[in-house]
Order: sequence, then structure tokens, then C-alpha cells
Amino acid sequence: MSTVNVRVAAIEQVTPLVKHFTLVREDGQAFPPFSGGSHVVVAMDIGGRIHRNAYSLMGAPDDTQAYHISVRRQERSRGGSAYMHDNVAEGSVLQITMPVNLFQLIRMGRKHVLIAGGIGITPFMSQLHDLKRNGFEYELHYAFRSPEHGAFSAQLKSECGERAHFYIDSLGQQLDIPAVLSRQPLGTHVYVCGPAPMVNAVLEAARELGWPENHVHSEQFTAPPMGDAFKVQLAKSNMEVEVTADMTLLEALETAGVGPDSLCRGGACGRCELDVLELDGEIFHHDHYLSDAEKSSGKKILPCVSRARCTHMLLDI
Amino acid sequence: MERGYRIRSKPNYETLVWKEKASAHVVVAKGAGGMAVLQLFQQMHPVQPVTVFYVRGDSTDKDYSQTLTKLVGDELQVFDTQMEALYAFYRRLPDMKMGTRFYVSGTESFIWSLCKLAALFDIQESEIVKQLSNSLSRPVYCVHCKATTPNVTTNIVACSKCSRKLFVRDHFSRHLGAYMGLMIDAENPGEVPAIEEIYP
Ligand code: FES
Repeated sequence: MSTVNVRVAAIEQVTPLVKHFTLVREDGQAFPPFSGGSHVVVAMDIGGRIHRNAYSLMGAPDDTQAYHISVRRQERSRGGSAYMHDNVAEGSVLQITMPVNLFQLIRMGRKHVLIAGGIGITPFMSQLHDLKRNGFEYELHYAFRSPEHGAFSAQLKSECGERAHFYIDSLGQQLDIPAVLSRQPLGTHVYVCGPAPMVNAVLEAARELGWPENHVHSEQFTAPPMGDAFKVQLAKSNMEVEVTADMTLLEALETAGVGPDSLCRGGACGRCELDVLELDGEIFHHDHYLSDAEKSSGKKILPCVSRARCTHMLLDI
Repeated sequence: MERGYRIRSKPNYETLVWKEKASAHVVVAKGAGGMAVLQLFQQMHPVQPVTVFYVRGDSTDKDYSQTLTKLVGDELQVFDTQMEALYAFYRRLPDMKMGTRFYVSGTESFIWSLCKLAALFDIQESEIVKQLSNSLSRPVYCVHCKATTPNVTTNIVACSKCSRKLFVRDHFSRHLGAYMGLMIDAENPGEVPAIEEIYP
């Protein structure tokens, strides 16, 4: 995967848990423009081990001087978000991949409804630029815990005016998802990014109301869960790799120099899919990509988020 | 056609069945297609709002408007021409909400005229339940002058706009909502094989 070195030009504490990082290229060149909803993967060298986390780009898609990401400190972090918060300072150098978009606006849509929960606002920050520039019809619904946790809410209020709706949990303000979806005109697309219960509530409400599936878009990057250590055997490279408790199978394969391709690193895109040739235990599937049948077959695994409990698992790589 | 050979572009049609998850239902039918609507209401009268647009059958087609009026009640609108019905349908689209389900029954020409209108509102044809009424007649797109001749029952037809003699192919374009028609006597003008009814 092609990467580029970036320097942290500025850091802003946006909320008690969220920091906004402004990145410029170390070689002084311009970044490529991207499309709203894109993300980059940031590689961090934590004690000699490479962690990679995906973050949505938030700035204007045509701003090629700087890229902007926001990182929420995760309570049960494997180190990535804590590292970004505690160890990265202005002037630090990081490596990022070129932008990839798995959460694109559907340009055919006649109206776009964006639903964000907490830090799930980040992919919409760049999509809103696209929506406004194209003069598209849209609504934003943004739910967060308490007033001080509403990252970018003041900016959104002034930029989106009446199209932005805020729901602050601590003030008892609830987002009524079925009500929002039931009043949308034909040709509307809904996009949701946020915690799993919110994403599921949107998918469920849309299904109940009879929305066609291809009008419903979600981004739910699972932070890879930790688990027990396990070992895997690799058929093609003929070696054994140990996956420690605090790293993902994908990271273990990358550390061993045999990492498969990856895009979202959150169990959403399926790019990292591997065939399981032999298995004497159980796979814990944490992705949103494989079908239930594929999951229970035990023949496939998405190493970016899934783990196993076994003494022998032979992967086709 | 060769046995076992299937043309992938040819659409498959189904039987109209209410979709369970829906906010509203819109049913559009023409002539003999009214039977599919009667069958729908045999299944049930859904709790969600229903609108039925029906084009009365003419002398060459069946007319179910009387039975439909009795069965459907004031959720039914009856029109004398396809044009009027499609126009009324189109004018209602801006007020319709997401979750509205669409059903259509009639000839292929009618079905695909409706699908093309719906596409303007980002409703994909795959989301529309389509039932073919009792005719195989085809809409035929003239690849030369780009006009579409509706309800063609023969293997060869004169284009309704440029009058070229078109051979009706099996190749169907979902985008145009029609079968492709190619000039048959382009090489030897006037040499037109026998015209037969094969899409009764
Ligand atoms: S990289 Fe996208 S599912 Fe693993």
C-alpha cells in the first residue's frame, strides 16, 4: 500500500475526549484531492510495533495543503487512540495511506439524510462540503452524550443552519429515527455513522418502513476487540505466527511481513478476507461483512477484527 | 432460439404480491393488467395507504375498471389513456415518501414506460414489482432514429417514426426500457422476409 509521511502541523482539543489533528506532507508537496466520506489509515510505531487505525478525513475535499482527522480517545483502546492523544505532538511525524472511500454519497440521490452519533460525525464533515458544493438537498441529525461532547457542533450549527438537528442525551433530547425516516421524500438516501446500536436502529427502521436496501448506507468501523493470544499457521509462506492479546491477526501478519491487503481495517469492506483451510477450534467473527452462513462455515476470516481460540488454524496465505 | 440458450438482458416478470414492509403502496395497471390488481386485492387490502392508477382497456384489450371500482373503492383512479395515467402518476411522485412500494402490470411497453418515469425519482426498476399481462407484445427501440414503437407483436415492424423495417431482437435495454430493433434490409433494400406474429 502506498504511504506518505506527514507532519502534525496543529493539534486542537475539540472536546474532553476528541483531538483534531492537522497533517501536512513532510516533503512539502500537495495531497491528492479526495471525495467526501474517505478515510486514511494512520500507521503508528508504538514501542517498535506498528499499529494501524483508520480515520475519516474531515476537511474540504479540495484542500490539498492539509488533511484533517479527529481521534476520540477510546476507553478500551489497544493503544492506537491513546497513542495519538498522549504521544503525538505538533511536529510529530506519522505515516498515512492515500485516501480510500467506502462511504460515498450517492450522486443520483434526490436528498441525503446524514445521521451521526458521537465521533461518527467525522465522515460527514467532508461529505457536507460535497453536499454544499453541489447544492444537494440534505439534513443532518447529530446525537451526542452531553453539550461538551458535541464535537464541531457549533461549527455545524453555523454552517448548516436549519438543516442541522442536534440531540443531546444529557438534556433528554432523543433522536426519533423512525420519525425522521418516515417523512423523507422518494429518492432519499440515508447515511449513518456511529455506535453499533445507532447503526442497527437506522438499518432496522429503514427496513420496517420499506426503504430499499440500496438507499441505506452505514459506516461502522469496529475497533478491533482484544482477546486471548492464539497461533496461526500459514500454508503459502509456510510459517507460524503468534497473535498476542493486544494485537490483531492482521497486525500480526503484517509484523511477520506477510500481511494481506486491507482497506477499512474495521471489518466493513472485506478486502482482508482470508481462507481458513484447517481449524481445530472456534473463530470469533467481529466483522459486518461475511454472511452468517460464511461465518458459521468456519472457512473464512477477516483478520482485521476477528480472532480465534484454537491450537491449530491453517490460513491460505 | 437455440435450446438452453438464455438471453440475460431479457427481463423476468413475477406475480404481484404485496410487500410486507412498506409505508404505502402504489399500483399501476393497464387493460388486462387489471387482473393482477384484482388478484392483489384477493390477497388482502393492506393497512398502509394504497393508490391504484388504472388505464381502462380499449376495444383490443380487457377492461376491469368496473370490478376494480367495486373492489378498491376511492383509492382507485381510472384513466382513458396511458398518457393521462402516467402523467397523473408522475405528478404524485414528489409527494410520495420513502418506503412507498411500487407494483405495475400491463404490457411490456406500459411496464417500462412507468419504470422510466420512476427512475427520474431514483426508484430503481429492480424495486418495482412487475407482472406481464396476457400479451407478449414488445416495445421496440429503433437504433437508427431512436424512437420507440410500442406493443409490437411481429418479428419485423415498421418504425413508428422513421418507417424503417426493423427486425425485433431479443436484446433488451433496461435503460431504454425496450428491445432493440435493427433495420433488416440495410444491405439489400426492399428485401424483407415474411412478417409473422410471434409476440401475440
Ligand atoms: S480491511 Fe476491511 S474488512 Fe478487513
